[in-house]
Amino acid sequence: MRDEPYRWIEAIQDRQDYIEDQLRPGSPVVGITYNEGMMLLTISKGQRKIFEVHDRIALSAIGHPADIERLRMLVTDTASVQGFQNATEDINLHRLTNYTLAPAFKQAFESIVGEAYIIKMLLAELGSTSERNQFTGINFDGIVRTNATFAVIGGTGAIETGMQNYLAAAQTDTDRDLTAALRLGLETWAVGKELSSRESDETESEDTELDTTQMYEVIDTAREEGEIEGGVLEAAQQGASKFRLLTAQEIEAALK
Amino acid sequence: MMNGTGNFLNRTDTGDRELALQEVVNHKGDFLTLLRHANYPLKIDLPSETTQHAVDVEIAHSTTVVAVRYRDGVIIAGDRRATAGTAVIYDRAEKVLQIDRHSVLAISGSPAIAYEIARILEHSFQYFRRSQLQELSLQGKLRMLSRLIRDNLAMALQGIGGVIPIFALYDLGAADDENGGKIFFYDALGAHFENVNFATTGSGSIWIRGVLRYLSRFGDTPLHEMDMQQAAITILRLLDIASEYDAATSGYNAKVQIFPTIKTVTRTGVNTVSDDDLATWYTEAQPE
Repeated sequence: MRDEPYRWIEAIQDRQDYIEDQLRPGSPVVGITYNEGMMLLTISKGQRKIFEVHDRIALSAIGHPADIERLRMLVTDTASVQGFQNATEDINLHRLTNYTLAPAFKQAFESIVGEAYIIKMLLAELGSTSERNQFTGINFDGIVRTNATFAVIGGTGAIETGMQNYLAAAQTDTDRDLTAALRLGLETWAVGKELSSRESDETESEDTELDTTQMYEVIDTAREEGEIEGGVLEAAQQGASKFRLLTAQEIEAALK
Repeated sequence: MMNGTGNFLNRTDTGDRELALQEVVNHKGDFLTLLRHANYPLKIDLPSETTQHAVDVEIAHSTTVVAVRYRDGVIIAGDRRATAGTAVIYDRAEKVLQIDRHSVLAISGSPAIAYEIARILEHSFQYFRRSQLQELSLQGKLRMLSRLIRDNLAMALQGIGGVIPIFALYDLGAADDENGGKIFFYDALGAHFENVNFATTGSGSIWIRGVLRYLSRFGDTPLHEMDMQQAAITILRLLDIASEYDAATSGYNAKVQIFPTIKTVTRTGVNTVSDDDLATWYTEAQPE
């Protein structure tokens, strides 16, 4: 097939369509900063979706659970070994994404006779100062995007654009506390969930026109089958490891 | 499982990548296995003739570390002196090392091996938590340390790498705060024993073990009923006594304000007692 460029491109396009169809119903993930650190937030159904990778790095993903687990272990193992052999300060998100994860994503995507990874990944790195915080998203084809203040992953590009537009419009208060960040994250998640539940041609509008009440109705409906899951990287956390999962009390406090 | 082409981090072709991924998802959170796959040298092999003299050499452990179970958990301390023969080579050594949010290792013996054991232990606990999505159990932590000490037996028998630590931790699964603090003493072969109220090791320990027993049984306030300040003052005095009789142990150095390292392990985590607090308490605790 590689001898026939047209067929190869067609196969790649088919593969992309297949992966996006699989990812479309996935529960979106929102990454935002707040006054004490960074947060990853989603609503999950039974299977945990937010993970600690290293002292200052957290990960979340949408896609097939087996692919998420496989690539989560790859990056966790890489960071753990390098952090031990050198120093934990030598581990950074740029190296992990560009030298370990992105090549693996791209290679699997373009090896059209092999299995594809059905996955989109979002990683957060807590910097030595808040200006050095970084979110990095990796698409299933290995393309890497970074942002200092917020990032999202959703089933399709249009879903992500809709969520980003909502977040960008709400970025007036960058000194928000944990509760405010949780609320903003949930509202953004609701925008993504609403877009993902529409037919594919409707999704292209990138605008849900949901008001706040409707957003929390979407969240309440999702909570009937799943639960809100949040992980934070907090600079003030005691010890080298800055990651922790949000408690049920913190989540309930934000919903009042 | 491993082929001879190098570690999983360097593999690039598809077959190798698949093999590498297979390897990394197959192990069960064991950091030592991961290090072996990455070709990290976990053991040092010495010339065979060195071992012929093994039985004649005593394990060196010049120091004093002590742990006491008090009201809120465990308080654990170590002096700061490092010696080589009769020479004092360093007076700010850290012998009480935090391993994770609820455990601390106090080391006596060869510093190079002890620090490496502490580092492997710290990374192993972290790796288990990150890969398996749960904390390693109390028994799992104890056995990991046993394994590291046992693997070091050859070095210990040759008299150049022995490590006799005290491992103190707080068991979050304990029914109440009074029973959360745990102290474990290890021998050179890796056997561990739980000490109910206190443990001490190192060359200065022989001078204070009896005092600890006396305080535990007949003290006005038994060790396990002391608050943090009482326990800290008691430990400062004990290390002072050890330094009187053991040249390899330092007490409080008033000239340059160097105190022993003292940490507490409680339900809320590991905390280091500040030098300012120690200076105040030490002065207050002097007999008039």
